Order: sequence, then C-alpha cells, then structure tokens
Amino acid sequence: MVIKEKVAGPSRIWDVSRVIVPLCAGCQHGVATTLIGLVIEELGIEGRAIAVHGAGCNSLPMSGFDIDRIIGPHGRGPDLATGLKRVHPDAIVFTIQGDGDLLAIGADALMGALARGEKLTIIMYNNSNYSSTGGQMAPTTLMGQVTPTCPTGRGPDAGYPVHGAEMLAGFKTVVYSARGAVNTPANYQATKRYLKTAFQKQIDNIGLSYVEIISACPVQWHMTPLQSLKWVEKIIAEYPLGEFKNVDRIE
Amino acid sequence: MAERVFTYGNEMVGWGAVNAGCIYFFGYPITPQNEVTAWFARELPKRGGVFVQSQSELGSINLVQGAAAAGARVMTSTSSPGWSLMQEGISFLALGELPTVIHVAQRGGPGTGTMRHAQMDYLSATRGGGHGGYKTIVLAPASAQEIHDLVQLAFYLADKYRNPVVVLSDGILGQMREPVKVEPLSFPPLPEKDWAIAGKAKHKDGKFREGLGGRGMVYPAEYIGALEGLDKKYRQMQDAEVRYEEYQVEDAELLLVAFGYVARVCQEVVNIARSEGLKIGLIRPITLWPFPYEVIKEKAANGARFLVVEDNLGQMIDDVRLGVEGRAETHFLGIFARHLTSDLGIIFPDRVLEETKRLLEKGR
Amino acid sequence: MAKGEIVIDENRCKGCSYCVHFCNRNCIVMPGDIFTPKGYSLPVFINTDDCTGCGICGWMCPDQAIEVYRYVEEKSR
Repeated sequence: MVIKEKVAGPSRIWDVSRVIVPLCAGCQHGVATTLIGLVIEELGIEGRAIAVHGAGCNSLPMSGFDIDRIIGPHGRGPDLATGLKRVHPDAIVFTIQGDGDLLAIGADALMGALARGEKLTIIMYNNSNYSSTGGQMAPTTLMGQVTPTCPTGRGPDAGYPVHGAEMLAGFKTVVYSARGAVNTPANYQATKRYLKTAFQKQIDNIGLSYVEIISACPVQWHMTPLQSLKWVEKIIAEYPLGEFKNVDRIE
Repeated sequence: MAERVFTYGNEMVGWGAVNAGCIYFFGYPITPQNEVTAWFARELPKRGGVFVQSQSELGSINLVQGAAAAGARVMTSTSSPGWSLMQEGISFLALGELPTVIHVAQRGGPGTGTMRHAQMDYLSATRGGGHGGYKTIVLAPASAQEIHDLVQLAFYLADKYRNPVVVLSDGILGQMREPVKVEPLSFPPLPEKDWAIAGKAKHKDGKFREGLGGRGMVYPAEYIGALEGLDKKYRQMQDAEVRYEEYQVEDAELLLVAFGYVARVCQEVVNIARSEGLKIGLIRPITLWPFPYEVIKEKAANGARFLVVEDNLGQMIDDVRLGVEGRAETHFLGIFARHLTSDLGIIFPDRVLEETKRLLEKGR
Repeated sequence: MAKGEIVIDENRCKGCSYCVHFCNRNCIVMPGDIFTPKGYSLPVFINTDDCTGCGICGWMCPDQAIEVYRYVEEKSR
C-alpha cells in the first residue's frame, strides 16, 4: 500500500512563519537556520538547547525557534553563552552570529571563549558584509568587493579577508572547525553533517566547536537571488569548504 | 551564624555575596579592587561556586548577563575604567530586566586617572552611564560592614526589581581594614524565577523562555510596552527605596552632605565642630539613586545651608541643588581640598572643618 | 509516473526562484504573472508526473514554503 511520506517542509524547532521581522527574499539565513532546527531535532536535544543571537540579520531568526533563546549585545554572544553554560553545564548552548558580529566587534568575546576553552558551539553566518546596516565592509568582505564603506572596492589598505574557520582550527581549545555553504544540495547536506558533528562535540563535552556557513545575501550584494547563488561560488573560491579540524579530545 | 572578621573592605564584597547566596562571579583584574577577584577565585570553588576571569570588562558584564539570564545570583566587580566598558552591557541588562550586582571601587579619572581612590563616577552611576536612559539603584557604602550589608541588600533589590544594582565604593574603603560581623541578612521573600533560561525541558510547562532584550528590534511592536514596564519600575524604586543617614542634624545651621569615605571624614568633622559648640550636621545618602531629595528639601525649607563635600569636581552637588529647589545656599568642597596634589591626596577633616567655619562665619 | 508531489504555500513564498533553479526535472516554473497575497511572484508546480519527491526544492527554499511528499510502500508491521 502506497503512502505519502513528508520529506521536506516547515521544521518544528525552527519555523519561518514564527519570525516576526521577515528576512529578505532569497536570504539563505532561512536555509541555514532550518538546518540548525533539523539537527537539534535529530539529535534529540530540543529540551536542553539554548540559542544566543548577536546583532544584525543573524538575530532576526530568533523568534522562529521553539527553544530557550536570548539576544545579546553585538558581538557578545560567546560571553552570554559562557555565562549560561557555566550555570547550566548540561545545556547545549550555541551562538548564531554574523561575520562582523564574530570577527570584528566580537573579537574580544571570541578570544575569551577560545582562551578559556569554553565548551560552546559557535555558528557564524558568513555573507561577506554587514547586511542589516546596509552592506558595509566586514572582515570577510572579498578583495575588490564594493560596499558603502569601501566604495572603490576593498583594497589592501583595508586588509584582507579574514578566514574564521582556519583561524579557529589553530586553537587547542577548538575541537571542531568547519565551513559549509547551502548553495547546492550537496553543500546543504555536507553543512548539515558539519552542524551535527559540531553539536555532538558539545554533547560529548569535548571542547569548542565552530561552523561557518556561507549564506547568500541578494539585497546587499545588489543581485537577484539566483545571481547571488552564483556569487556564492566566488566566495567559496576565497573561503574553501570542509572540515579544518576534527578531534575527539583536546591534545 | 555570625563571624567576626577583620579584613579589607574589598573582601567584604565576597563575604556579602556568598551570604546572599551568590556563587557566580566573573571579573577582570583592575586596581584598586584586585582583592575582590582574588577572594572569589579562592573562596568560590570551596563553596561549589564558579569563578571565571573574563578577558576584559566587556567580557565580565556579558558573562554576567548570561548567568543572570539563567536565573543565577551573579555579580561582577571593577574600577572606574572598567566601569566605562560595562555601560553597554548594563544598558542591555536593563532592557533585558536581568538582576545583577555590579561593585565599583572608584579611582581617579578621567582616562587612566590614578590607581587610588576618588569619587568621580557619581554622575555616571546615577544617570545611567550607558545609552537609553535606564536607571539602576546605586548604593554607597561608607564602611567595610556596610559593604558587606549593602552587597546583600543589592542582591535582594536586584531580584525584587529585575534590574542591575550598583554598589559604588572607592579605593579607600576597599583597602581599609575594619572588623565586620559577617552573616546572612534576612530579606522579604521573592518570587521564583520562572522566566529564567535553562533549556526547555527544565521548565514546568515545557514551553521555551526568552531573554527580553529583543523587544524593539526582533519584536518591534513590543517596544513601547517594554518602556512602560521599565518606567513603572523606576517610579516604584524612587518611591520605596530611598535610604540615607542623618547625623546630628536636628538644630544644624549648616549641613554637610557626603557619601562614601568622605562621609566618614565629615562625621569626624561634625564631632569636632559640635565639641566646639558649632551647630552642624551630616546627611549621608546611602542610595545615590534614588537620591534622598525629600530630606534635603525639608531641611532647606527649615533654613539650613548646605556644604557638599565630595572627592571630585562637583557631581552630587547637582542632586543637592535639585533638592533645595533654589531655597537654600549650596556650597561645594571638592577634590582640590585634598592634602596633596598627587594621587595620594585625601580630603581630611581639618580642611573640611576650616571651610565649615568659614561658611558659618560668613553666615553671621 | 510521479513518485512524489509538492505543495507550495503562497503565504510563505517570497518568489526567490531557488526551487525553479534546483528542480532538475523542471517540475516548477515561474510564470511571472501569478502573485502571492504579499505580492511576490509565485512559482507553479507543473509536470507533476516527473516529480520524484527528492525533497531538494523543499531543502533549498529559504521560507520553508514547500512541503514535499514521496510515495512509499507502507512497511508491514
């Protein structure tokens, strides 16, 4: 007897229809956060998961979750997460941060968590700009990319793109560091695996895990959604995908 | 069971905290309160508590925000430059309606200032140093015993109002050693923190809990409602939480107004003056916010004159002037009354007494 | 013969066209003159016989606007 089995659709843990301030058409934060919701459900950690959002577009999905959550000041996610984790060591505390939120203004909090070896899961949505404020230059902005704060294109006088996943892989306290994208079904499935592995590191109480997800930002890249999907390939050329570190204990 | 302890005012921050049931402390080294972080690092693990040295004061206040959101009694401690770094965090604690206690051992400012005492953060503490016009109760101890007592009161008030409370001390009080009776003080009962974040499975109704900091950005429609709630709270604090001490004020022609270490100095001034037959008294605000405007107004109406003595360029005098409502003379003696021009200078009784006598003479 | 089917929720869809792009069997098109209640361009599920229920359109939709069903043999107890 043939039945209909549902294989895709709104997710229970994170549902877009609960998001109050909508994301832009084609913004892939919706895809990335859906993956987080699916992974939380599959790992059975819904009852102990706590989401900590930063400032920027990464905070807008917060209202879509059906788990405990909090928004903190710009960049301070790892600090709030640490405070929560120290009071509830059995909770699975993860941050959702933007590229500027983590690598620019968040450098202080990030270094604190890395230096102290906090057992958190840090998730960073990389769209190579400060999207919610109008697309300004971020540490992850590509060379030559035009933004309101590098109107002639990013040049060496504004540094070079910062590679979060590779940098974190160099820290002893980081036991997992990966970068994924969601611009193809294959990358979608790989990113889901990275997220699952990252959360498992915290479940197993091993160390800090990090997943960077490249997310299309059509509006601030001044492209149509389909064009922005193509542009993600350019970003991947600068920021390779894959796992940069995956260990089972801190050595 | 009370213990008698003879130690630094700074260590009383720790004794007060653990007697209030606080076992979480996050802080960063800064003079002149390093005894505080050392105390917590040493004593919390013995009590099953958690001490974390943060990477900066930005870290301290945000680690505190996380633990406070989890419903724990948690505090941090710093001095003036670190206090500056904490302002954004305190603003977020205010909107998030999170209870916490922030101890500040004031030192000279602005900038790096000095490593030693001063009273230069009064305005910043009482006006809400960060953005958004929030209010925090500010408690000003004037002895090691009072540090111990007011830290415990601070935790009670923080939980009662779901708001950060500041304990504003200074480098002299922190470094002074005095005998203190250490014990848990009793306070009225408080409701359970059903709002705290812990992971959905830990809530009785199984529903998620959320930090309130998203009102305005993630939930734009809730903004004015959030402000209405905060406004109501601040008015309740102003109505119910004013604390001050009056010392020999009954027939005083001149009233000294001072807080913190300077109030100890002024108390001595009153003793000396009275022994010489001069009619002066001291009003010592214990809550710098909400400020005891009423008692100032009442004394002004009865014809008293005021000499505000504070170790800064003139900060609390603004509040005294608001209190007198133009009805009384308000004089100021500040940081230039110190006995030395270096950072070692202290406002001593003799200089205050000299100014007191000059004003009393002028008045005749 | 279809092995699956999809349902597009017009109240969620923002007309980004990712589903059109990713369906490798051309089951979804964007006519351009059909709109969601919010005014976005609404894609349409056609060539329904070719749908395999692979789920990719649903995965790639940023708005969770597509429910994907696959026809499977019910497992006997």
